[in-house]
Amino acid sequence: MLRGRFGGPARSLGAFFVVLVFVPPLLLLVSGSFHEPGRPPSLTPQLIPRPATAIGYELAFEWGGLLRATLNSLIVALIAVPLSVLVASAAGFALTQVSRRVRILVIGASVAALMVPATALLVPRFAMFRWTGLTNTFVPLISPALIGMSPLYVLAFYLAFRAIPRDLYDACLIEDLTPARIWWRVAMPQVKPVTSAIAALAFVTTWSNFLDPLVFVYDRDLFTLPLALRSLAALDPTDFPIFLAGAVFATLPAVVVYSIAQRRFLR
Amino acid sequence: MKRVLAALAAITVMVGGCTKQQPAGQPDLGPIQLLASGSPDELGAFRALIEAYKKAKPGADVQLLEASSAKDLTTKLSTSIAGGAPPDVFLMNYRLYGQFASKKAVEPIEDRLKASKVIKASDFYQQAMSAFRWGGKQLCMPQNVSSLQVYYNKALFAKYGVAEPKDGWTWNEFLTTAQAMTRDAAGHPVRAGESEGGPAAKAAVHGVGTEPVVIRVAPFVWSNGGKLVDNDQKPTRFTFDDKASLEALRNFIDLRIAYGVTPTDDEIKAADLVSRFTKGQLAMLLDSRRITPTLRAAKDLNWDVASLPRYGNPAGILHSDAYCITSGSKHKDAAWSFIEYAMSPDGQKIIAATGRTVPSHIETSKSEVYLDPTKAPKNAKVWLDAVPTLRPVPTISTWAEIEDAMEGILENAVNRGDKLDGVVAEIDKQTKPMFARGLAP
Repeated sequence: MLRGRFGGPARSLGAFFVVLVFVPPLLLLVSGSFHEPGRPPSLTPQLIPRPATAIGYELAFEWGGLLRATLNSLIVALIAVPLSVLVASAAGFALTQVSRRVRILVIGASVAALMVPATALLVPRFAMFRWTGLTNTFVPLISPALIGMSPLYVLAFYLAFRAIPRDLYDACLIEDLTPARIWWRVAMPQVKPVTSAIAALAFVTTWSNFLDPLVFVYDRDLFTLPLALRSLAALDPTDFPIFLAGAVFATLPAVVVYSIAQRRFLR
Repeated sequence: MKRVLAALAAITVMVGGCTKQQPAGQPDLGPIQLLASGSPDELGAFRALIEAYKKAKPGADVQLLEASSAKDLTTKLSTSIAGGAPPDVFLMNYRLYGQFASKKAVEPIEDRLKASKVIKASDFYQQAMSAFRWGGKQLCMPQNVSSLQVYYNKALFAKYGVAEPKDGWTWNEFLTTAQAMTRDAAGHPVRAGESEGGPAAKAAVHGVGTEPVVIRVAPFVWSNGGKLVDNDQKPTRFTFDDKASLEALRNFIDLRIAYGVTPTDDEIKAADLVSRFTKGQLAMLLDSRRITPTLRAAKDLNWDVASLPRYGNPAGILHSDAYCITSGSKHKDAAWSFIEYAMSPDGQKIIAATGRTVPSHIETSKSEVYLDPTKAPKNAKVWLDAVPTLRPVPTISTWAEIEDAMEGILENAVNRGDKLDGVVAEIDKQTKPMFARGLAP
C-alpha cells in the first residue's frame, strides 16, 4: 500500500531533497570534528581537514567526561523509552475502550497539557522530587515515561488503535479476552509502525533532554550527554573540533535508532 | 525562556525566605554546595580550589555544582531556591545578582566579614566590593575586578605599519587607528563611502570588534562626561537624550554605520569576534579579561592589550563576579568558611592561575600569579591601572531584563542604521517600564 502510493520517482525525489538538506551539515559536523584543536576556526567550511586528527575525540572524552555521560544517557533511555511506549500505548488503548464522554474529557485534558510549557512545571517538580529525596538521581529523568513522556504520544496511539475495526475488539470480548490481553495480543501487533515511530521520538526526547538533568542532577558522575556536550560548548572557539567530536558522538545513537525505526515504519 | 527565568526568580520570593539556621556548637564543616558556571578549565579551577580548601580544612565537605553558562546557572539557582533546596554558595556577576538580592534570597555577609580573622574588607578593591552592597550591607564577596580593555593584534599593526594603541589615547585616535587598520584582501585601506556608486570594497580585516550592548557603550558615555541613567542609586530611565551621552552613543553606532570599521552582523554570525581576532581578521577587540586564556591558547597569535580610549576623563566599566551565600543555606558558617578561603591569597591564586580573572584581592593582583611576565598580555597592568576609574552599571533587580532589551535595540541601530532619535525613543519606551518594576539596592 505504502509502496504503491509513495513508491517510484516521487519517493526518490523526496528522499533526494531530504538528503540534500540534512547530509551537508552532518558531513561538516564529522569533518569539523577531525580538525586540529587550538587553531582559529576557518571562515569558509573545509570539508577535508588538514591536518586530520582525532585529538578532538580524545579531548572530548577527557574534558567532557563523555564515556560516563553516554553510559548515563543509555541507562536513562533504556528504561524510559520502553516504559513510555508501554504507558502511552496502554493509555491510548484505554481511550478506545472508555465512554465517549470520558474520552472527550481525557483528550481535552491531554491537549491542554500539551500547551503547558515544560519549564512552567520545573519548580513544582523540583519541590516534589526534593521532598521525596529523589533529586540527584536518574528518577526525575525517567519519570516522564510514567505518563507516556508526552500527551502527544498517547493521542498518537489512540488514533492508531481507533483505526482498528471495532468489530475486532467486539470479537475479542466475545472470546472472553481481558482488555489487557486485547491490548497486548491483538491491538499492539496491528500498530507496529506507530510503536516504532513513538519509540524513536521518545528516544530522541530522552536522549536530548537538557533541562531536567540541568535542574535535577548535581553530581558530575550522573551527568547525561546533553549536559556534557553543553560544557564542551563553553570551550573557546579555537577548540571547536572538541565540541564537534562530542556532537558526533551524541548524534550517532539517534541516527542508528531512526534508521532502525524507519525500516519498521515502512514495513 | 527569559520570561520563564524571570518567573522562576519571582517564585523565589515566596519560597526563598524559608531558612533553617545551623545550631551553634561544633565548627560547621558542611556539606555545602558551590554553584558556579564556566568552561571546563574554569570549572577545573574551582575543583582545584575545593581540593585545596579541603586540605586546608580537614573534614570540610564541598560539592561543586556545574553550569556551563550564566543562563544555565540562573535557571538552576532559581529552581532550587524556589524548590526550597538552594545551593549554599553561588558565584554570580553583579549585573545579575539584583534579582536574587532584592528577594532576600542572598544572606548578607557584612557581620561575618567584620568578624573574620582570615580576610578583611580593605584587602579588596572597593570598586568591586561596593557593587555587591545591598540595603547598606555587604551581600557577596567579589572574586575579580575585570574591565573592558582593547586587545590588539601586534602582528597586524606591524604588517600595515600603523602605530599600536597606547595607554591614555583618545576616541579620535582610536577611530583613526580603526580606520587605518580596516583593509581589503589586497591590504589596501577600506574607507566607507569612498567608492563611487557601488558598495565600498569588502574589508578582509576590520579595525575593531565590539558587541552592540549597553555595557560596551557605558564607559564611553561616562568618559564623555555623560550619565547612563538618571539616578545611579534608584534609576528610572536611561539618559541617552543627554547631549554627552547621545554623542558617545552616536559615535559608537557610527563605528559600523558611518565608518564601517566593525564587522557586519552577517560577518559576525559567520564567525564571532573572538574567532575573527584569533584568525587575524580583526585588528582590535574590546573585551574584558575573560578572553585572555582563549587568546593565549591560540597558536601563532601575537597580541597585547591597551587601555580603553577616552573622551575627557578616563572611565571604565566594572566586570565582577562574587561568591554569595543563599539565605536558604543550612550551613551558612561552612559556606562562609569556604568563601574566606576562596578570597584569601591562597584561594585567589588558584583562580587567578586560569588567566581569566583579575584578582579582587589587591595583594594577589600585584603578584606574579597575575602579572606573569612570561605570559601574554605583556601589558596586563592595564587592568590594575583602570581600577580607580571603574564604575558599575545599576544593580536593580530588573537590570538583566533591561540589558536584554537594550541588546535588541542597539543591534538594530548598528545593523539597520535606525535613526538615533528613534533609537533613544525606543530605549525609553521599552526600558522605562522595566526600570519602574526594578527594586534598587
